[in-house]
Amino acid sequence: MLSLIIRRLGIGIISVLAVSVIIFVGTMILPGDAEQIRLCQEATEANIAAMRERLGLDKSIVEQYLIWLGNFVRGDLGVSLASDAPIIELIADRYHNTVYVAVLTALIGVPISLALGILAAMFPGSLYDRILTFVSVSLVAAPEFFTATLLVLLFVFALGIGNAVVVGSTEGKDIFGLIAHFALPIATLSFVIASQLIRMSRAAVLNVMSSPYIEMAILKGVPRRRIIMRHALLNAIGPIVNVVALNLAYLVTGVIVVEVYFGYPGLATLIVQAVQTRDFILIQGLGMIFCMTYVVLMLIADVAALMSNPRLRHPK
Amino acid sequence: MTDFKKNDPRFGSLSHSEDERLFEMIKRGASRRDVLKYFMASGATLAASGALFSSATDAIAATPKSGGKLIMAADQHGPNDTLDPALYTSAADYFRGRMFYGSLTRLTPSLGYEPELAEEIISNADATEWTFKIRQGVEFHNGKTLTADDVIYSMNRHLGADSVSKAASLVSMIDRWEKVNDYEVKAILSSPNADLPIALGTFHFKIIQDGVTDFSTAIGTGPYKVKEFAAGVRAVGVPFENYWGEGGYLDELEHYGIGDPTSRLNAFLAGDVDAMVNLPPKAIEQVQSADGKEIWALKSGAYVNITPRLDMEQSGNMHLWKAMQYLQDRQRLVKGVMKGQGSLGNDHPINAAYFDHCPDIPQRELDPDKAKFHWDKSGIGSTPVPVVAAEVAPGAVEQCLFMQREGQKIGANFDVKKVTTDGYWGAVWLKEPICVAAWNMRPTANLMMTLAFEGSAAWNETRWNNENFNQLLVDVRGETDPDARKQKYCDLQAMIQEENGMSLPMHRNYVDAAASHVKGRTEVPLNNFGGAEAPVTLWRDS
Repeated sequence: MLSLIIRRLGIGIISVLAVSVIIFVGTMILPGDAEQIRLCQEATEANIAAMRERLGLDKSIVEQYLIWLGNFVRGDLGVSLASDAPIIELIADRYHNTVYVAVLTALIGVPISLALGILAAMFPGSLYDRILTFVSVSLVAAPEFFTATLLVLLFVFALGIGNAVVVGSTEGKDIFGLIAHFALPIATLSFVIASQLIRMSRAAVLNVMSSPYIEMAILKGVPRRRIIMRHALLNAIGPIVNVVALNLAYLVTGVIVVEVYFGYPGLATLIVQAVQTRDFILIQGLGMIFCMTYVVLMLIADVAALMSNPRLRHPK
Repeated sequence: MTDFKKNDPRFGSLSHSEDERLFEMIKRGASRRDVLKYFMASGATLAASGALFSSATDAIAATPKSGGKLIMAADQHGPNDTLDPALYTSAADYFRGRMFYGSLTRLTPSLGYEPELAEEIISNADATEWTFKIRQGVEFHNGKTLTADDVIYSMNRHLGADSVSKAASLVSMIDRWEKVNDYEVKAILSSPNADLPIALGTFHFKIIQDGVTDFSTAIGTGPYKVKEFAAGVRAVGVPFENYWGEGGYLDELEHYGIGDPTSRLNAFLAGDVDAMVNLPPKAIEQVQSADGKEIWALKSGAYVNITPRLDMEQSGNMHLWKAMQYLQDRQRLVKGVMKGQGSLGNDHPINAAYFDHCPDIPQRELDPDKAKFHWDKSGIGSTPVPVVAAEVAPGAVEQCLFMQREGQKIGANFDVKKVTTDGYWGAVWLKEPICVAAWNMRPTANLMMTLAFEGSAAWNETRWNNENFNQLLVDVRGETDPDARKQKYCDLQAMIQEENGMSLPMHRNYVDAAASHVKGRTEVPLNNFGGAEAPVTLWRDS
């Protein structure tokens, strides 16, 4: 078990390294020049050369990569090209918004979605199941900005409650204050993750339900609710946890549209602004943070799957 | 009681005691007739006293109330937001700068100047030496008193080859700053500049404290001090209790950017923010018909244009760019794209928003006959003429599409390539044979023409280089005779219109929107939110 976890960890580190190469090379070949944008078209040959030297861009690309990676491992994300501010500071001003929204969405959206999905699996083919399937398929097809627009139209303009953008500071707010503060972004994201979670949890449970040992239980006369809660659900946890982890990673890394739409400063808007200003050091730092969030969540999901399903611990 | 300053144009002709008297009368409920009687008796003419009455009642309706909070939404902001005045790049920076800092002069709606931190401004006869007498008793947010050293330190940051200032070019004719005494400084110029006090009233020339190098907060002399600032997140100001002048009426002034135009509009219409910059033209009618929402528009010299490079094979063909100028459907651009929030361009940059605008140059109109004449002479025939366009400002792409459509009628084949705005200024602008550009207004005609039309200017879009023009542009800076100055500026504008080659079909207004309780709006046509001058005077009406 422990050796398996260590192996997963090793694979995680290798993926982070592989992604770091992609991020580094990707930002290096990005067209445009931070200094040119920063100087507002006043860039001259001389100050571009000076900046290249300051950033070490005159060294070979392998050397640059190793220096950058070494700094990153030591926790030094460097200094933003657009503002000269340490990147850690820029991130510190914003990460809490992204984390609040992700955590609150997870706390609210995940349990509700799983419950709805499992409920649907209890009564496959019922009217409830069909309505839920129809709604969740429609939601899968709706992009975030569409859902967000509908929510703003309904709540802000038709009902006159809530804010069209997320304004003000979160300082000193408790969990209910935060939920009210981020109500519409949380609702939008909950809809986005709900569709997938409902469908996957329903499918996972139904998949287990068709296996022979469940048939045995049915023949024995065990009530359906008891079969699902006691026998089927445990075996379905593996795939469900995986989907939950994927969605949580999406909540941290993929909320660009939602953050921009509701106009609050988080990590996702920061990376958009970094791309606009060609601040490739900031892009690299954020890219690595996103990648590591992803890898850590996947690692947790894998371990959870291993623990819930002994068969996975003994691969053939 | 409102304290009338001597230079207030509304009351300029009355002595201070008469101001007070008039105000008292109106406040006690005096009618127009009473006021007329009083002033007629004291010798004023009928027309003059009538005018006085109405301006004084306006002023009472507009007597600022203290208190309340306003949230002002800019558009782009981000990690490059700064509190260092020399490094300002965006409208958000300019507005924030006005909250926290003061400057030597303050610009007026007609783009003149009035004294601010400089109490008196005196130039020598040929405008090569400017003396600034510094207001006494002005305090910085940390309690230190403003003196000549602070002014000289602030101003020197814009001088020299190693200056990081974004506005160094505006003061490049200043040779050095000299301290006369603690409350008087002198600028020694290497060439005449009659407009120097106007340049010093612009965004970057805010006065900071002597020796400051840390800009994590802003220690200025402005009406608000920093309560909170995080780049790309928000700036919040609270009143500075020892502000030297009138202004800073709000309990709290908050300012941040909402990049997405739809979200910004939603936030404004829903009342989450009290004012927003850059209302999309399509939303103008929606805001006009909404309750308690108003357009805050300023006629400005900002423009969009199409620039052919005269030093290149096809685009240097004189008859080609002359045909392009006659193919501009100027009326339709202003009405259709800007919903009337713009004015006709006349293929030169100095429109009526500028002090030195020349009204005598005839307006160029859409003229298919003249266009056809030039097109036939150009010999280009049906060969495609590539035009690169990006949505750098409202109308930038449409001006090309309208030209393309009019061109088809005379057999011209414009190949309009639309590219993304991302990276446009680095990769396309100044490089492609024919492309579009968007310009903000500059405080003076001379600055505008020096930046983009002088032969050796880095931003000379068409590479037009006329020795007479370059020389006249320098001569006029020292011209103190008003008639001669006017004539010279007219000649300069006519030369650009005739020879520069660019098509400039439209000037666009700054179109912002504000809730009707947002009072004390300024109207300096240099930028959004009234030239970013509004923070001082903004107040909230209930």
